[in-house]
Amino acid sequence: MARWGMVFSLARCIGCNACVVACKTENELPDSIFFTRTFVEEVGTFPEVSRAYVPTLCNHCEDAPCEKACPSGATYTREDGIVMVDQDRCIGCSACAVACPYDARSMIEQPKENRGLFGGAKAPARDADPDKSDRWRAGTVVKCDFCSRRVDKGLSPACVAVCPTEARIFGDLDDAESAPSRLIRTRNGAQPLPEKNTRPKVFYIDY
Amino acid sequence: MTGPAMVGDSFRLGYRFQRHWDVSMASAFFFGELGAGLFVVAMLYPSWPVLIMGLLITGIGKPWFHLTHMGVPNKSWRAILRPDRSWTSRGLIGIVFFSGAGVLYAGALATDGLVPLGDVWRVVAFLAALVVMTYQGFAMSHSTAIAIWSTALMPIASLLYALAGGAALMLVLEGVGAGLVHAPLAVLPAATLGLAGALLVLHASLLHAAYNGTPGAKLSARLLVRGRYAPAYLGVVVGVGIALPLVVLGLGGDSLPMRIVAAVGLLGGFYAFRVVIFKVGVYEPVMRFGGIRTPR
Repeated sequence: MARWGMVFSLARCIGCNACVVACKTENELPDSIFFTRTFVEEVGTFPEVSRAYVPTLCNHCEDAPCEKACPSGATYTREDGIVMVDQDRCIGCSACAVACPYDARSMIEQPKENRGLFGGAKAPARDADPDKSDRWRAGTVVKCDFCSRRVDKGLSPACVAVCPTEARIFGDLDDAESAPSRLIRTRNGAQPLPEKNTRPKVFYIDY
Repeated sequence: MTGPAMVGDSFRLGYRFQRHWDVSMASAFFFGELGAGLFVVAMLYPSWPVLIMGLLITGIGKPWFHLTHMGVPNKSWRAILRPDRSWTSRGLIGIVFFSGAGVLYAGALATDGLVPLGDVWRVVAFLAALVVMTYQGFAMSHSTAIAIWSTALMPIASLLYALAGGAALMLVLEGVGAGLVHAPLAVLPAATLGLAGALLVLHASLLHAAYNGTPGAKLSARLLVRGRYAPAYLGVVVGVGIALPLVVLGLGGDSLPMRIVAAVGLLGGFYAFRVVIFKVGVYEPVMRFGGIRTPR
């Protein structure tokens, strides 16, 4: 069984946010909910300034604090290492959200005035793929699941597929010859906030 | 302040306030701890009407605000399912035992022993009250996500505030009389004074730990002491909530109006602490990973 992980190349990321758009579309995310975000930081002082782009998403930690905090068992880890949220079991207590050091989770607020999750508009791709309709429940906590539906079909996550510079590299961390494994090994891959002891399966290279 | 700033919801690297646990959660925490604290203080007399009061404060106030906060309240019973790893589940089980054993113990007292096994229910209720008074602190501290919460002082804060709140409320109830207690507890004013003093030490320790902790903890501490939450923290939590009761009780004020002033101050400070400690919780920016610096 694979152990899915991801590597981000900070040198390759150009901050185009195509990954963010692809994720929103693929996952039919409501307004203000993001599973992936590319943060920007301005570095240096005038005249020597530059911008650094730092993509982020759920790190699918080996020692996920969100899973430990969840009182209902809604958060669980699949055999392939993807940390999932069972919408049927989630009670919306947000214990997972305050336990995640990476602020990777979002609560889908109850829609106001019965306008639905998309403000009265049709959900994107609802007509094209009925399997995507009504995927999210108001009042529950959601997060990136590495596009598990795509992964189960042998595809890569939407953000990886769409990245024009191949700054996102997805693969099996248990396969020593997979692209992410080689990159982590040869390019000194580092985990975000390692002092939090969550053992994330997302690494950063090229710094 | 140099380094990453507060960035709200923007796509910038920096510190973000946690906003998942809000005023309704803070209120649930407050009522849960206060009720259990009042129950434990009432056990010293013992006074079954005040035991019932404590049970009602926890049994009604806490679930009311928890259900207000929950995204799917009709499924909230599921919160009891993972005591093996979740402090929320453990606390909920504690509340169930606290409520059940508490009612039976109060019933045994009220009926002069017609309800059997009164001593057993007393012990179970006390142990369960201990869980209710502390589990919320453990729930806050067990994850490293919010640095200022991630300290062994959080469960101690929960316990101290619960007992202090219970003692403060008891000061007023004792003063009111109305047959709630057979005889006043002579040490209660001194005990409340001692608990207020302990809270002062607690806050000093909390700030000391935060200022010597991670950058996120330091930022939270600065927000409390010098930032946007300083008026609420220094003025209400510390000033009204601790200094005022210390002065009133320390100067020997034992009249009912003085007791009310001390109690209102302490309870107000208690509630303000619950709200403000949630408000200053921050997520640290992910850029500080290993040896990585952002590219230049």
